[in-house]
Amino acid sequence: MSERMKTNFFRALLYFALIFLAVICFIPFWLMLINSTRSGNEIMTGFSLLPSNSLMKNWEVVSTNMSLGRGFANSLLLAVLNTVLVSYFSALTAYGLAFYRFPGANVIFTVMLVFMMVPAQLSMLGFYDLTNKMRMIDTYWPLFLPSIASPATVFFLRQYTISILPRSVLEAPRIDGAGELTIFHKIVMPVMVPGIATMAIGAFIGSWNNYLLPMLIINTPAKRTLPVMVAELSAVRDITTNLGATYLVVAISVVPIMIAFCFFSKHIISGIGAGAMKE
Amino acid sequence: MKKIIAMLLAAVMMTAMLAAVACADGKIVVWTLANDLKQFAERYTEQTGKEVEVVVFDSADYATKIIQTLGTRSKDLDIFVGEPQMLPNFFEAGFAADLSELDAQVQEQLVGYTYEAGKDEDGVLRAISYQATPGSVIYRRDLALEVFGTDDPDAIGEKFSSFSAIVETAAQLHEAGYSIFGDTGALRWFSISSSPWVKDGEIIVDQDRLDYFDAAVELYQNEYVAFAPEWSAAWYASMAGALPVNAGWNDLASMDAGTPQTQVFAYVMPSWGALIIRDNAQENKGKFGVCSGVCSFFGGGTFLAVNEFSKNKEDAIDFIKFCTLNDETAQWWLNVSNGDVVSSKAVLEANKDYQNPSFGNQNTYGFYAKELEKVDYSLITGYDDTCKEAFGAAIVSVQEGKQTKEEALKEFYTVVTAQYPELSVPSDAPIGK
Repeated sequence: MSERMKTNFFRALLYFALIFLAVICFIPFWLMLINSTRSGNEIMTGFSLLPSNSLMKNWEVVSTNMSLGRGFANSLLLAVLNTVLVSYFSALTAYGLAFYRFPGANVIFTVMLVFMMVPAQLSMLGFYDLTNKMRMIDTYWPLFLPSIASPATVFFLRQYTISILPRSVLEAPRIDGAGELTIFHKIVMPVMVPGIATMAIGAFIGSWNNYLLPMLIINTPAKRTLPVMVAELSAVRDITTNLGATYLVVAISVVPIMIAFCFFSKHIISGIGAGAMKE
Repeated sequence: MKKIIAMLLAAVMMTAMLAAVACADGKIVVWTLANDLKQFAERYTEQTGKEVEVVVFDSADYATKIIQTLGTRSKDLDIFVGEPQMLPNFFEAGFAADLSELDAQVQEQLVGYTYEAGKDEDGVLRAISYQATPGSVIYRRDLALEVFGTDDPDAIGEKFSSFSAIVETAAQLHEAGYSIFGDTGALRWFSISSSPWVKDGEIIVDQDRLDYFDAAVELYQNEYVAFAPEWSAAWYASMAGALPVNAGWNDLASMDAGTPQTQVFAYVMPSWGALIIRDNAQENKGKFGVCSGVCSFFGGGTFLAVNEFSKNKEDAIDFIKFCTLNDETAQWWLNVSNGDVVSSKAVLEANKDYQNPSFGNQNTYGFYAKELEKVDYSLITGYDDTCKEAFGAAIVSVQEGKQTKEEALKEFYTVVTAQYPELSVPSDAPIGK
């Protein structure tokens, strides 16, 4: 067997495996799209890879039972706020912890690591009481303010900054008389963008899909986020009539996540390549 | 970039502030887990001009939400609802206001157990329901005629009147090529027939429960059931026609066309289950009938309670009266809900001769009213869910041959006493020493 045939054979095998994996990844997604065109009864009694004709009916259930636009706007607002706050403040903290030497820096860092280990669900009850005492139940404050402090993101960005930003880069602007905040905004932030983008995707998706906290905090239906509205939709009537409609909303609600991913992934990919070249 | 962020933040803070200002102003706020009450609220507003806001939560998280919110003595809601099994917790936590002023009225107007279920441990009325959820055996009239030569509810009821009768009936149906139930889980509704699960701190397994145990194992091992568990795709499909034996949780489309087919003869469900069957029956719609089984039972139902911390109690009570103690409302609901069984005695009486076309022109309301009077609420305890679940697990392990009956029963006692250490195993328990 010639060398070339061998390469071709392995290449075919590789492509086959990759296509197979791609199909496996895609099928659940495809089923979700298909199910949004099927009636509850059809979904209950079996599955199919071909669309059915209940799309309009499902849409009717959705539009009469929930204000989709409202839920979208609420979720988007919170997701954008969370993403912005997580990105900016975590980058700032990470930079501070990575490049300034001050007493207690290590203690702070250790404390953050410890908090990273505590699952969010554990603090839920206490958080609810705190929110209540601060009279912030049924407002958005408790849903986005805490993202200013995200230990996991700070940890990641700190390691990232140390690895890509040589200390000497900071010396030039200092000699030229730039203030510390200006250095952060003009020099450090642009360098950190790939790392921030990676974390931002996570923050956006996390906030977009967040269900438990908004469900507990928000009481007024008009202020509900999309996941809470979806849960309500499946509750409003007999499950069989609403199953298709629920799938439809879920399918629609995935769109912003895909857009966010496309937007940020450009930066992630450039980030992966960034460290590859030796100076 | 900085400017955009600053502006965005400012905008959000403004909306958040505005949102905090808008608050309850005399309107009645109801938190519930189904859409029903929205229709009640619309009608109430039409008639009285008073505004009612109904907020629906997903039933899976409803109890959490109520406990979390009322745990902080919130005044954000005036009325909350609960299913019978949630109510004792809510009562104990002090969330539900005293409704004793309506006690006499409720006792007089509402049917059977619905009055008892709304009372707390000390007998104080704290919740009232607009619906009743009597149980029944829902059977196929056409198959009954074919196999037993009659589809009369009383005659078929006889065939389900005891666990031994059920096994006999199942054998007859099996011979004719049909399955008596979707699966043996259907029998669990009859687990409280003669004695409560817990009496004087002891876990009770009487002869009836042992019969239930044996019947479930026998039906399973003789393959008298279709092995289509409740809520599975196969179970839904069975209402409309034939399905392959042993479909289980499998997808019907994936089953081989050559596998032997069977039809499910009967379902054991509360009244709302009969509606599910009706709505999924397709071609079989109208071919069903309802009859009584081993014992009368109920399952589920929405009870309304007033928030103890509400500032709006008077209005809230007025709304609850409208929903539950107003016969005109009850008749209206019976019509618009398309078959919900209401709790009003007078309305059930008025509809007792209604011939229900979905159930072979049977007088379903008259039947349910009688069943409701037979429900013995004194047999209900707070331990029922745990006991039923553990007993069901014991049955399954014997069905599948993992344990002997004695081992399984021993494990049943262990599971229940582990969860409720205050309970004990009686000395005459049906297990060896």
